[in-house]
Amino acid sequence: MGVALAVMDAPNTELAVVDRAPESAAQKKARFERDALQYTNQLYAAALRYTKDPHDAQDLVQDTYAKAFVSFHQFEPGTNLKAWLYRILTTTFINTYRKDQRRPQISDGELEDWQIYDAASHTSDQGRSAEDVALDGIADLDVRAALAAMPEDFRLAVYLADVEGFSYKEIADIVGVPAGTVMSRLHRGRKLLRASLADYAKDRGFNRGSSDSHE
Amino acid sequence: MSNMYLIPCDQVRQTLILYIDHELSSDQDYQLYQFHFQECPPCNEVMVHESAALAFMQNLLRTSCNEEAPEDLHERIRQQTEALAGQSQVEFFSSSTTTITNFSFDGTTSIQVTQEFTHEIRHDFTEGQ
Repeated sequence: MGVALAVMDAPNTELAVVDRAPESAAQKKARFERDALQYTNQLYAAALRYTKDPHDAQDLVQDTYAKAFVSFHQFEPGTNLKAWLYRILTTTFINTYRKDQRRPQISDGELEDWQIYDAASHTSDQGRSAEDVALDGIADLDVRAALAAMPEDFRLAVYLADVEGFSYKEIADIVGVPAGTVMSRLHRGRKLLRASLADYAKDRGFNRGSSDSHE
Repeated sequence: MSNMYLIPCDQVRQTLILYIDHELSSDQDYQLYQFHFQECPPCNEVMVHESAALAFMQNLLRTSCNEEAPEDLHERIRQQTEALAGQSQVEFFSSSTTTITNFSFDGTTSIQVTQEFTHEIRHDFTEGQ
């Protein structure tokens, strides 16, 4: 039963209730086209974060839809189709596209300090607002670059939580790791990203401020 | 006021992110935290700031990472779906090496479609057009 993952708060996850009585191939196809294909853009944006390459991202999304179609009869109607598709996307990515990539291994065992909430590192109100004000001017390209530079496990956790709005439990199912691991990756990833974005913002500010002294 | 806000400040701070992420395990927990925030301005201030900082970053990410798929990709997926629907499942699977594809959230999941399997599919469509 996929009850725990039944349609979440996202407005576009509404699913038609389908009679589980034998469905013709044409009906199945129509249901797939109606319900599943609407996520193409979203999956593509996610695939870009995963693969960091537009060509690979397209292949990954197409492969995802091929697998989704042939196993669509196993999808439990009424449960979260978006999460199901993300699971296929993520598993396909993990099993295929990243196979020959050398990736820095992160030992999850060392990440159990997610609970140690580091309020001290965020210092004063002034510091916080200054950081956020600086981030106001940050470019989309910088945000994408900062994400791309993050270790893969962190990048996926942050993307799935903070862009797609999946819960820890859903991310755990999508990525195939325990929820505690998701929490630690997410916590570390957010801290990393925040620091990295602040650096980008600072560089931009510096370059802007000193632009007349160049050239 | 004898309750010292029911849960201690350090516990609230340590698990604050669960509150902000709506990941506390029960409604009762939310009530406890909300009570604490009402009674404890310093914790409340940290919570408000952390929530705002996270929301800010999420908004930044969402507006930066919303590329649309090329029309070409939409079209290939449509064709792929047509073609897959045109094949019988039996025929489809008999031509591949892997037959088990089970994507469910029930914990017994096995995901065993091979790379080769889908690449074959994809090439059919990219070369066919």
